[in-house]
Amino acid sequence: MAAFLNFAKRSASKPRCFLLPKNPNAFAVDNPLSSAATAAPSFSTSQSHAQFPTRPRFKQLFDGGGIASGTGEIIRFTQFREPRWISSQSTAVSVPTTADGLTVDAIAAKGWPILDESESDWRSHAAAIAQSVQLIKKRLQWRKLIIRLDQLSFVINKPNLWDDPVYAGRVSREHGELFNKIKEVNSYEHELLEHIDLIKLAREENDEELELESMNALVNMRRNAKEKELEALLSGDNDSCSCFIEVQAGAGGTESMDWASMVMNMYKSWAQRRGFAVTVVEEMPGEIAGIKRATIKLDGEYAFGYAKSEVGVHRLVRISPFDSGKRRHTSFAAVAVIPILGDGSTRYEIKESDLRIERFRASGAGGQHVNTTESAVRIVHIPTGISATCQNERSQHSNKNSAMAVLQSRLDQLEMARQAQINAEHTQSLAEISWGNQIRTYVLHPYRMVKDLRTNYEVSDPSSVLDGDLDGFILNFLSASLDKDGNI
Amino acid sequence: MNWIWTVEMTLRFPLAIRSPLPPALASSLHRRLPILSSPSAAALSSSPPASPPLFLRPLVFSASRSDFLDFRRWAESLALAAGPRLTCDGGPDAGLLGRELSWLLEDASASSDSSVDEVRLRVELEELYRLWRERIEKRRPFQYIVGCEHWRDLILVVKEGVLIPRPETEVVVDLVAEVQGFEKGLWADLGTGSGAIAVGIGRMLKEGGRVLATDLSPVALEVARVNVERYELKDKIELRQGSWFEPLQDVEGELMGLVSNPPYIPSTNLSGLQAEVGQHEPKLALDGGDDGMDHLLHLCEGSSLALKSGGFFAFETNGDKQSKFIADLMTTRWRKVFHNVKMVSDFAGIKRFVTGFRR
Ligand SMILES: C[S@@+](CC[C@H](N)C(=O)[O-])C[C@H]1O[C@@H](n2cnc3c(N)ncnc32)[C@H](O)[C@@H]1O
Repeated sequence: MAAFLNFAKRSASKPRCFLLPKNPNAFAVDNPLSSAATAAPSFSTSQSHAQFPTRPRFKQLFDGGGIASGTGEIIRFTQFREPRWISSQSTAVSVPTTADGLTVDAIAAKGWPILDESESDWRSHAAAIAQSVQLIKKRLQWRKLIIRLDQLSFVINKPNLWDDPVYAGRVSREHGELFNKIKEVNSYEHELLEHIDLIKLAREENDEELELESMNALVNMRRNAKEKELEALLSGDNDSCSCFIEVQAGAGGTESMDWASMVMNMYKSWAQRRGFAVTVVEEMPGEIAGIKRATIKLDGEYAFGYAKSEVGVHRLVRISPFDSGKRRHTSFAAVAVIPILGDGSTRYEIKESDLRIERFRASGAGGQHVNTTESAVRIVHIPTGISATCQNERSQHSNKNSAMAVLQSRLDQLEMARQAQINAEHTQSLAEISWGNQIRTYVLHPYRMVKDLRTNYEVSDPSSVLDGDLDGFILNFLSASLDKDGNI
Repeated sequence: MNWIWTVEMTLRFPLAIRSPLPPALASSLHRRLPILSSPSAAALSSSPPASPPLFLRPLVFSASRSDFLDFRRWAESLALAAGPRLTCDGGPDAGLLGRELSWLLEDASASSDSSVDEVRLRVELEELYRLWRERIEKRRPFQYIVGCEHWRDLILVVKEGVLIPRPETEVVVDLVAEVQGFEKGLWADLGTGSGAIAVGIGRMLKEGGRVLATDLSPVALEVARVNVERYELKDKIELRQGSWFEPLQDVEGELMGLVSNPPYIPSTNLSGLQAEVGQHEPKLALDGGDDGMDHLLHLCEGSSLALKSGGFFAFETNGDKQSKFIADLMTTRWRKVFHNVKMVSDFAGIKRFVTGFRR
């Protein structure tokens, strides 16, 4: 797991957002693919159409012509197609190769045996690295990525882009992020091919020093590749965001409320291990034990990227300590994970007049009569009925601000759900999660086991999992969902 | 405390109002005299040594983690056992005490990860035992124990002798922020206590904006001064001692706005207050006379002269009954003086504030 931790550190020091130039013309689009493996992607009209997000701006741009009419389609397509930088600038994009014509894909296809790192065999290193490159591309959904970058490049080259600076900022930021991602993989490929050339050259010239140097470079690349593979697992839209985790007890009284609090504790310790800052935002304790529902906030890079794997229903089977008859019980807890979007991309605009703010658990005369440290606040968004509570802060004002942040994220999530069919990735809210959607079972009796029903990954020591050792489950789920064959 | 002086000051109220002091106020002040001068009044007798609030003290002590955890366990069990006893007069339950305990530890120690065997502290562990016992056994308010109250986005220093600012009052600052052009105006916060409202307003002011914050109590002014200085607002907030409008004679008719959270609890209710309030907070900050409105009425009348034309006022009241009474008065008998009078609810839905404008 050392590489894994390293990765978290490394990415924390990377610049998080793309700086926006003041003058849109200054935004020169140079092509990360200028010497890339992938030629200008070809795609059909309907595909490119489906890729468009339904953001209002795009509607404005493209809804002018009749959507339903066939000619409209064609006109829009030409409009879209024409100024594509990729075709104007680099029709002759060539796949990078070694001096003797090997591509990265060709290397992977050779089936050279992959030996231990300590074996000084350049073919083995090259094969391992080429495999990693393929895996990374798959995880990044390479083809989709390139199509998307292509579309974005078209949009950011439009002269009137900056008429709507908020939108322009969002598009440029996304463009910059994709651009960097692609560039990084491409230069990695280049490095590999370059060292192969150098090794061959060194052999021809009997330059042992040069050969050793390049061989070591390949070994380093191979070590690095594992890290990059992991990094590629967290390349979703909001993966780098902080997030809220919400847990709700299923039916079944005290036993399931106790289970809900065990699940919440599992996430608290997992988050602490991962180095995320944990704050309890809201907690509704059960009458006897456990919690009915609770919300925690995880602050840190990639909190959402990891935690989103946990969305769904978690099932516990054990002898209930709350059952005097010592019978076996099955209980459920639902988990939702909500990304906290950065300022730039907040999607839901809340109107002040749509809010009702209430003191939570207030009683009696209040004011000068009362001394209390309880200043919980609930904010209700009247049009949607969605509400948020915070009781954890030391002042009512801060409780109100925190509750507002939760509310904002819940409404953002709703908005993302609305847009989900087209583009944005979306995780379900507690209200949407059906109790049938079980993702994992924890059995404490009659045998001991935790099993993920999506990946079949299982562990025979429930206590370590409940103590927060979740990384195995999370990584397995992430790779299972990204490495499936349909991707690339 | 100079009692006679107080009464005189109030009686010599300078503004031309026919009955400067409602008779009830005069009598309640006289009635208060023996109470307040008796040494049993916690608020005045136990003016504690001038020790800074916990969170501002240096981290010069330490304890082993196991001793620290022992304290925590002891404190939790004390809270659990005391819970039911405390709630019967409206005091905190075990859950709230648990939260106070974690905040106490937050203020008194440096956060360190649990692998380190030593916890660095701002007071001796012994002192924490003493403080927590005081909290539970003497019902000394949590905020006096830690020496601060988190209010809005501020951390205000408080101590015995000054009212702990209430969450409801936070809204007064928001009401001021809604007034057009407030940033550059001259404001007054009467009965400023810890300076909460004044600091809240002061932080929003721009060039030219100022707050005059007054109080009768020297302890309150001393605490307010600390808070004003901590937030570097010395050039925006001026503290003045005296009774209500008395220290504001030089700005008569010049105020853009006037806010106050005056004492409004009816005298008869004082004995039934939860121990934290009744036995520890200053009576001077709570006692509103027979029906609780002695000071409020006085402030309403005084505003007519103190505010400039178009000036804004916001008063906190005891709730629905007082707010209605005052709003009624302002829209009937004083309708020629005030307009746009409104009652504003707190987040519990109680009509907590009366606001309006001087014509
Ligand atoms: C309820 S407290 C409010 C304190 C502070 N403004 C707050 O909201 O936290 C009332 C304040 O009025 C002050 N006070 C009482 N009688 C006064 C008088 N005659 N003149 C000026 N201030 C007075 C008290 O000392 C106390 O600080």
